[in-house]
Amino acid sequence: MQWLDALIQGVLLGGLYAQYALGMALMFGVMRIVNISHGDLMILLALVGVSLAVSFSLGPFVLLVLLVPIAAAIGYVLQHAVLNRVVSQDPLPSIIATFGLSIAMQNAMLQIWSADTRSIPGGGIEQASWQVGPIFIGVLPVIVLVVATALTGGLDAVLRFSKFGRALRASAADVEAAALTGINPKAVYAWATALAVGILGFAAVFQGLRSTVAPSDGPAQLIYAFEAVIIGGMGSVWGAFMGSMVLGISQAIGFRISPGFGILAGHLVFLAVLAVRPQGIFGRS
Amino acid sequence: MTASISASGDLPAVTVRRQTLSGTVAIIIGIALLVGLVAMPWWAGQGTIRSVVELCCYIAIAQMWNLLAGYGGLVSVGQQAFSGVAAYMMFALAQNLGLNPFLAVPLCLIAPAILAVPTYALLHRLDGPYFAIGTWVVAEVVRLLTTNFSYVNAGAGMSLRVMTQYSAHERAIGVTLLCALMLLVTVGGTYWLLRSRYGLALTAMRDNPVSAASQGVNVPRLRFLIFVAAAVGTGLAGAIYFMAQLRITPEAAYGPQWATVAIFIVMIGGIGSIEGVLIGALIYFFADRWFGEFGATYLVVLGVLTLLVALFARGGLWGLVNKVVDAPWFPTRRILVSGGGE
Amino acid sequence: MSAPLLSTHGLQAFYGDFQALFGIDFEVAAGEVVALIGANGAGKSTLLNAIMGAIRVAPDMVRLDGAPTGGAAPHVMVAKGVGIVPEGRRLFTGMSVEDNLRVAIDHSAGGNDAWTLERVYALFPILKDKRRDLVQSLSGGQQQMVAVARALLNQPRVLLCDEISLGLAPKVINEIYAAIPSISDAGTAIVLVEQDVGLAKKASDRLYCMLEGKVTLTGKSADVSREDISAAYFGAGHAVA
Repeated sequence: MQWLDALIQGVLLGGLYAQYALGMALMFGVMRIVNISHGDLMILLALVGVSLAVSFSLGPFVLLVLLVPIAAAIGYVLQHAVLNRVVSQDPLPSIIATFGLSIAMQNAMLQIWSADTRSIPGGGIEQASWQVGPIFIGVLPVIVLVVATALTGGLDAVLRFSKFGRALRASAADVEAAALTGINPKAVYAWATALAVGILGFAAVFQGLRSTVAPSDGPAQLIYAFEAVIIGGMGSVWGAFMGSMVLGISQAIGFRISPGFGILAGHLVFLAVLAVRPQGIFGRS
Repeated sequence: MTASISASGDLPAVTVRRQTLSGTVAIIIGIALLVGLVAMPWWAGQGTIRSVVELCCYIAIAQMWNLLAGYGGLVSVGQQAFSGVAAYMMFALAQNLGLNPFLAVPLCLIAPAILAVPTYALLHRLDGPYFAIGTWVVAEVVRLLTTNFSYVNAGAGMSLRVMTQYSAHERAIGVTLLCALMLLVTVGGTYWLLRSRYGLALTAMRDNPVSAASQGVNVPRLRFLIFVAAAVGTGLAGAIYFMAQLRITPEAAYGPQWATVAIFIVMIGGIGSIEGVLIGALIYFFADRWFGEFGATYLVVLGVLTLLVALFARGGLWGLVNKVVDAPWFPTRRILVSGGGE
Repeated sequence: MSAPLLSTHGLQAFYGDFQALFGIDFEVAAGEVVALIGANGAGKSTLLNAIMGAIRVAPDMVRLDGAPTGGAAPHVMVAKGVGIVPEGRRLFTGMSVEDNLRVAIDHSAGGNDAWTLERVYALFPILKDKRRDLVQSLSGGQQQMVAVARALLNQPRVLLCDEISLGLAPKVINEIYAAIPSISDAGTAIVLVEQDVGLAKKASDRLYCMLEGKVTLTGKSADVSREDISAAYFGAGHAVA
């Protein structure tokens, strides 16, 4: 029964990871870049959320409504001011630029919010749970999973059926041809990053509600997002979603084996996938 | 070094020349500095020696990252896996198995070499930026494994108590000799590599891997060898650094600050050049001493500087210098001198 | 001849330090079909890329309706009514035929809706049957039809076609070239970059021949002789092939 519990908790944890991973999958799919400050951005948004919630006694829902547009705006500006200058075949400039940004952000957050761990007050929702036989299922983690599923489905639908989605897919396939067909790649990139960081706005609120955040937490979240994307298979948003589930389950089961083994189990599953199925569990070869 | 190409037909006779005046001066200064380094136990205080050892380790780690990213096109943010694993191996050999610690330093390099092979085999399947984060995961895995490994005292770390059998003077002699050797291997070795017949292949690969492959450079093989070589060089620096510290913990050994230092030095100094690494290392070393007390603010500035270099001055300081004067310290280009030859 | 719709004036273009075009004067009028011939490396594709803004040039060197547009980004040129069928087709792989076409509709030049999905399907009926298929599953000729249709759905006033016959079987080439008159009848000017001189001569009103980054011959396609073309194509001193 404890393994069933681990499985359920893992899937619920995966819901949070999916919210980190979607944006990374989107940005890499369209621009072939990885934003190393991805995790730090999420932490920044969460800390802003903590401060807003405490200063103005805002509930989680109001916070979401406020934070997601802020996140999208940050993404848009980030792409215009920084990333559009470093998108290229050569991976070096984008890695270095976002690595520098990551270091700067972590330390700036350290100065503003100190090294303390904080969390967003949820008004009781963070403790609520349903009991199914011997297993407790948290209400909040279920909400996180439902939102993650909705975000994944929504993003998939945008990519498939909207004008913006077609422009994104066209730019991902051949950016020069896209420009010759009338697409402004830099504008498309800016909106893609706005979307990716906007999703991080959801992740930030839920991370802050579910557990705690501290300025140095970003790199770990970056790594989880990355592992989820690779495990699931590059190039599809549902792949990133399923990869997040696999990562969450791996960590939850690892944690049951030994508390010190949880995170490591996730890493090992990632390396194992890379060894036996480098295109990802759900990826096409 | 000169070599004549015998001209045939109506081609003018030319000579290939590589050594320059600036290069000769630099070599002489370099040898003088190495001699000065080895002689430090007889003229410098403990504090100075400690600082210079640290500087040497920065140079070596940055140079190895430069070899990877600047020539191999392999951007890594997880080289701390190799410096950490080598240092831990050295501690285990010397402290747990009772080997002579100075002998343990070269022996421990087997660890990063062995770790580099499966790491590369797995990660080379990932696209450029994903490769970088993959190296970080490997460093995290090694850190977590070390934290759970009681043989090396798990998360609490180890002290190199066996060093107390030597006097401070003897320790200084050993460490400075090792440092000189490390600089010869990492900086001198890279220079030798760039001037060897692999040099052209490496430069071609840096400029355009696809066309280099079409011109007969075995790019995957060369990349693999560079990855292993950089792992070993980084490991050497890690072993010497922690030998000088006399203490190691998983957090210190596998922390991402190693990647930060290497990236900052190479990018500020100038990627793809040995001169850039030396300039960058000196800048980092003094910045750390003068501004390190400002803690987080100092690191914010460091991060922003790295960002700005990536955006506006990819060649770093050495790239800017090169636009003004052409006086390489480590000339690797082949210059054709017309009218030479016979 | 009426005032040119699109023209270049002393156009020079560089790839880094390498100069690829040396003062090209070129023009095309509304509704005209102009061929651009020349050997590999003569600078034909470079000229199209410079017009499209894919290579940076000085503003005055390219004019549309007499107004300088040199150096404008490709998507701006498309919005102004210059469409291109790029060399090598450059379709959006992983997307269906119709999604490829919809991208062009989404980003078409304003003020003109002459080309619709129905019209391009009438021009290339096979595409209608294949509209749900991924473009990479199509044959080379069908892919070229998608590329032409995609450029038309940008509603261009002038359509630049870069080597649309390259690598295709003669029967397929004829099928695609058969569409040229109906495109130009609709009022769209066409620039055909072509290595097949016979094909280019037959399909065009006027032609330009380029050699080593310069225009070496220009004239009405019906008037220029094979000998003139040969000399301009290969340079002086070369025998007629």
